[in-house]
Amino acid sequence: MPLLSTLIAGASVLVIGDSHLSKPDYLIKSLHDELSRQGALVHSLSACGAVPSDWLGSVKMVCGAERIGNGPVTLVLQNASTRPVKPLIAADKAKLVVVVMGDTIANYKKEFAKAWAWQQVTSLSKEIVSSGATCIWVGPPWGSEGGQYGKTYARVQQLSNFLAANVAPCIYIDSLKLGQPGGWITVDGQHLNPAGYQAWGSAIAKAIAELPAPNKP
Amino acid sequence: MPASTLAGLALLRSGECQRPRLILLAALAGLLCPVAASSAEIPLYPTGPSQDAAFVRFVNAQAGGLEFSAAGANTRTKLSPEQPSSPFYTVDANTRVKGRFHAGGQPASDIGLTVKPGEFATVVALPGAGAVKQAILREQPDDFNALKVSLALYNIDPQCGNAGLNVVGRSAALFEAVAAGSLQRRALNPVSISVQLLCNGKVMPTTLALGALQAGQRYSVFVVPAASPTGATQRLFITSDSVAR
Repeated sequence: MPLLSTLIAGASVLVIGDSHLSKPDYLIKSLHDELSRQGALVHSLSACGAVPSDWLGSVKMVCGAERIGNGPVTLVLQNASTRPVKPLIAADKAKLVVVVMGDTIANYKKEFAKAWAWQQVTSLSKEIVSSGATCIWVGPPWGSEGGQYGKTYARVQQLSNFLAANVAPCIYIDSLKLGQPGGWITVDGQHLNPAGYQAWGSAIAKAIAELPAPNKP
Repeated sequence: MPASTLAGLALLRSGECQRPRLILLAALAGLLCPVAASSAEIPLYPTGPSQDAAFVRFVNAQAGGLEFSAAGANTRTKLSPEQPSSPFYTVDANTRVKGRFHAGGQPASDIGLTVKPGEFATVVALPGAGAVKQAILREQPDDFNALKVSLALYNIDPQCGNAGLNVVGRSAALFEAVAAGSLQRRALNPVSISVQLLCNGKVMPTTLALGALQAGQRYSVFVVPAASPTGATQRLFITSDSVAR
């Protein structure tokens, strides 16, 4: 069975996400580098705190980052914003879109907002898939409990289960299966240290490469 | 009618309130990302809304067309027999939603309801003379699943007590004993089926082809009163439970 790695080689890949891609030693380095090593032409774009539906338009955020191909990471501060994903896909002629999101819809300190999360996830997954690109959605890692975001293992597991059931037709990559609770050290309960992002990014890229290639005409 | 024009219905996507507060908080506290990247200096931002999203839609159960409007708005949205349902609009939970039904030849009828967090409310314009009568049915779904079809039966007809739907051509009941003024929802695999109505356990001469039901989509079948030349006393129609962007 052909693997997705055969699709990635030489293809344009768009990676969008939240603050997990917003600093030079975050996934915008590790995941971006690993996908590039697989032969992809990678464009990574992040917006701190963005929720999925923010990527249907341009919504201002407090920070973000961008990286194109083998170029450096550009940090964006006051003018950070999401960009509408469908024109991005068209401009890049992206064959594959990787979404790295989940922590921003988990409502860690409050009750899980199920209907809102469903609306968030389906609005973005439908938008991406309607472009014709293959979509992969990467869920959040375990992180560590407590911290300023109030992350708990129970909630991130609940969120990951929700994403697994609701991101289709995007393919779901469960980051909780790529690591162990507390296994990757965090700086604030949610964001990993550089070693953690390196491990997570490598694991995501490996999981992507081992997916079956989609049956597309 | 785009969601953005329904200002009178207090449309505000849950979570949008967070955005202005977030920017202000960051600006006031000086929590913007530093140019020299440091993993420890990360701005705090919320990970979800203060309460779950709430939704409302409007359905026309009359034989002819009618319109609805938001309070204070000049525009009206048509609900025809061919397109009897609006999409679900996002509204502020626990905030009064106001509007009006307009049916030619009938006095306009005010709409007013409050929707709870996580609730999907359906306001149905009922058949009958005089000012448009309404029924409001509410659900708080727990079955979000992009791999399954979600199908509901909304029984709007008091004459069809304990409504049910059988799958035509199979001895399978999709729904049973749905009381008038209530609804039931279930998941099924993607399928193309036709259904037959039952009222109080009796098979009625009313069928409906549901078409190819798609995974990840949500639908509602409505049982409404009807006067048909064939003698059928109920009518069925199906809506796609889409959410307005």
